Amino acid sequence: MRARLVTAAGGALALAVALGACSENTGDSDDVLDPNQVRTGAIATDPKDSMGPAPEVPGATRGGTFHILRESKISHLDPQRAYSFAGLMGSQLYARTLTAFTDDGKGNVTLVGDLAETPGANVDGDCKVWEFKIKDGVKFEDGSAITSKEIAYGIARSFSPDLTGGPTYLQEWLAGTAQFDTAWQFAESPDSLPPGLSTPDDKTLRFEFAQPRCDLPFAASLPATAPLPPAKDTGVNLDNQPFSSGPYKITKHTPGVELVLERNEHWDPNTDPVRHQYPDRFVWSFGADQTAQTNRVIADTGDDAAAVATGAVPAELVSRVAGDPAIKERTLISATPNAFRLAINTTRVTDLSVRQAINHAIDRSSIVKGLGGQYGAVASTTLLPPATLGYRNHDAYPAGESGDPGKAKELLAGRTPELVLVTSDETVAQERAGHIKAALEKAGFKIVIKPVPADGYLDTVKKKDNPYDIWVDSWAADWPSGAAILPVLFDGRSIKDEGNSNTSQLNDPGINAEFDRVLAMDPVAQADEWSKLDERIMKEHAPAVPLYVEVVTVAHGSKAGGLFIGSIFGWTSFVNAYVKQ
Amino acid sequence: MLRFLLKRFLLAVSVLFAVSVIAFGLFFALPADPVTGMCPKNCNAERLDRVRTELGLNDPKTEQYANYMKGIFVGRDLGSAQGGQCAAPCLGYSYVNSESVTDTFARVLPVTLSVVLPAAVLWLALGVGLGMVSALRRGTLLDRISIGFTLTFASMQLYFVGAVLLLIFVYTWKILPTPRYVSPLEDPLAWAQGMVLPWLTLALMFSAIYARLARAQMVETLNEDFIRTARAKGAPKRRVYGRHALRAAITPIVTVAGLDVGSALGGTVITETTFGLQGLGRTAVEAVRQGDLPTIMATVLLAAVFVVVANLVVDLLYAFIDPRVRLG
Repeated sequence: MRARLVTAAGGALALAVALGACSENTGDSDDVLDPNQVRTGAIATDPKDSMGPAPEVPGATRGGTFHILRESKISHLDPQRAYSFAGLMGSQLYARTLTAFTDDGKGNVTLVGDLAETPGANVDGDCKVWEFKIKDGVKFEDGSAITSKEIAYGIARSFSPDLTGGPTYLQEWLAGTAQFDTAWQFAESPDSLPPGLSTPDDKTLRFEFAQPRCDLPFAASLPATAPLPPAKDTGVNLDNQPFSSGPYKITKHTPGVELVLERNEHWDPNTDPVRHQYPDRFVWSFGADQTAQTNRVIADTGDDAAAVATGAVPAELVSRVAGDPAIKERTLISATPNAFRLAINTTRVTDLSVRQAINHAIDRSSIVKGLGGQYGAVASTTLLPPATLGYRNHDAYPAGESGDPGKAKELLAGRTPELVLVTSDETVAQERAGHIKAALEKAGFKIVIKPVPADGYLDTVKKKDNPYDIWVDSWAADWPSGAAILPVLFDGRSIKDEGNSNTSQLNDPGINAEFDRVLAMDPVAQADEWSKLDERIMKEHAPAVPLYVEVVTVAHGSKAGGLFIGSIFGWTSFVNAYVKQ
Repeated sequence: MLRFLLKRFLLAVSVLFAVSVIAFGLFFALPADPVTGMCPKNCNAERLDRVRTELGLNDPKTEQYANYMKGIFVGRDLGSAQGGQCAAPCLGYSYVNSESVTDTFARVLPVTLSVVLPAAVLWLALGVGLGMVSALRRGTLLDRISIGFTLTFASMQLYFVGAVLLLIFVYTWKILPTPRYVSPLEDPLAWAQGMVLPWLTLALMFSAIYARLARAQMVETLNEDFIRTARAKGAPKRRVYGRHALRAAITPIVTVAGLDVGSALGGTVITETTFGLQGLGRTAVEAVRQGDLPTIMATVLLAAVFVVVANLVVDLLYAFIDPRVRLG
């Protein structure tokens, strides 16, 4: 797979976002991100795009055992409970979903129907009623057919309070409340379905919502819509042995040690537009930490030649990996959708000019350098990460790579505000706080750093009435739409006393109304609106300072082919993986 | 003998009871909420409270402790969110690992046992052997070399020695496979190959203290009259040094070894992390990091059991080795 594809809009040549994902690397430029690239993403409405087979991966060969190295066990294998990156990406091998993304590994994604023939029909045009037609010929690992009934059961069981851990979008939207597990009790309704969910026939799945939910096709790509026959529901034990609907099934699971997946003979590639079935087996090996994993794939001996070290290359090995062209060739380097920003508590820092001054003063290049340079992060000046559909690069407060303390001083007009910067006590976070303090103090701010224990950090900053002014916050959306980012982070009506995601506590009626307007639009039309809104929020309110987008660097052995960093979650994707013979 | 055993058994039980009460008390004193592990991303306060009630976390603490103890001896019903009926010894259910703690132990304990027990045999043999040789050849070059050798390793850190050995044997010369645990019942050769590096590292690190202890004890014992008598009577060297001298010298070594092995069984965290093995120590540390309280409590209890049992075994060995010691 050559690392060159021309994006549709703008004709700008996409510089390699994923280096070395394929067998040959022509040594493209080191830039992992083209700031001028406009991401295009689409929702494929033509049923042809949702049909299999997925395009052949050039050079791929069938057979062999593909090894995946990981330190800790995957917290949940049960598709309705998976929410960690490893769980989400790993489940793609054994759990098919209503919709899925085709992904070229460079941020160009298309939503297609996976078990469904198309990514959903917006029946009345108001996003309140959605229908999916289920494909023929899709089967479980025991050969039984997958119909709308099994998919509906999968969604129903996610209401059970015993089966927690997974995303809660569908449950909350269907029940119309955050307390969905009391609104409809799974255990007490063994033969019925949650409110709003129905299966008029074996081929049709119907969602009816009280509010418009234009993001349903996206939410349906999460493994929460994986099918399960009721007879195979083993409750909490499904976490150890899920029942497969994908190209691989789980044959052996020793928790914390090994997970073995083998071919599912009943998977039909002609029904699957996303996945392949090249290796005979996948074997997850748990236990080795980041350093050990990277050392093993660098050594490239025995089984490790066909292995990928999913724990990213640790800081101390980055120079070794980057400096050796032979190793760099088999390293994936990619930006992720994980966007970091300096959130400003707008209830304490109430003066817009002060917030704008912070935006001018910030020195992104020192922060990025501290994170490992291009192998750790890419500076960003937008609230939306580049992986978002409709992303457009802009800078509301142009200040250059290292910030513009002069312009910040001008805005402050002689004031020297004292701000409290709360940080997690992890080494990386503390270093980052140090860089922020240094940059802001050049503009005349007085910064007091307050470290808190790492495991309490999120709870602290997500409290509504916290006594801090600025902190670093991050967000990785569950699907690449602005709808999963901007309203979550900046809609004043969603502010909660605890566990609040709108940490800037921005509450502007004009912006809130804009959110409502855009959310009611057709998902394809929404894309452009979100980037416009991004710029508007930054210019009118500056509730945060966009800092950087995380870059992940993952090494693999010389026989591990077809790997790329998925654009949705910024984690290794195995759907094209093969073992070079 | 029987009275001794009974007394010690009762003592052990009371120690373990005290440990369980303290551990349980810490369980509640910690700021970590055991239930947040259940839904990390999108839980709200109401649902968390419902879950807490269902799990019995809103019951009075004494009742929770009684249930926990009952579970250990006869088993108890944990509710559908935690896998239902839990047979004795029921140590609770870990949401973080999605399995009962007893199952976790069944998985990780063999790893720690495989690492520690053969390594203990090795480090004792190496340490006592080197110590004896040094004592017998006191003052010679051999003495200085062997003590110097053990001290060098004792002064290094385990993660350093382990990493260097990995670099040499696994990544560069590639003569040993990556350390991993394979059940010895399944494939003894693979088990040994996978464990060789951890054994070697532990043996090198720990032998120093035993070497020095053995040397000092042996030197002292060799000066005793009964040794001179035995030699004068013409007893062969091996019998004198092996049966007579060593036997008299060994008691402090047995004490230290007992404590060492007992606590090592509680978890050689650094060894397990360095070699990527999922053993008891690593599980305990991860449980602390993730706030996995059921697992933390169970590992504290188990580690206490190991130390108590090791002490008991050591005391019994005393009586066996040194007839002057009277039990009771």
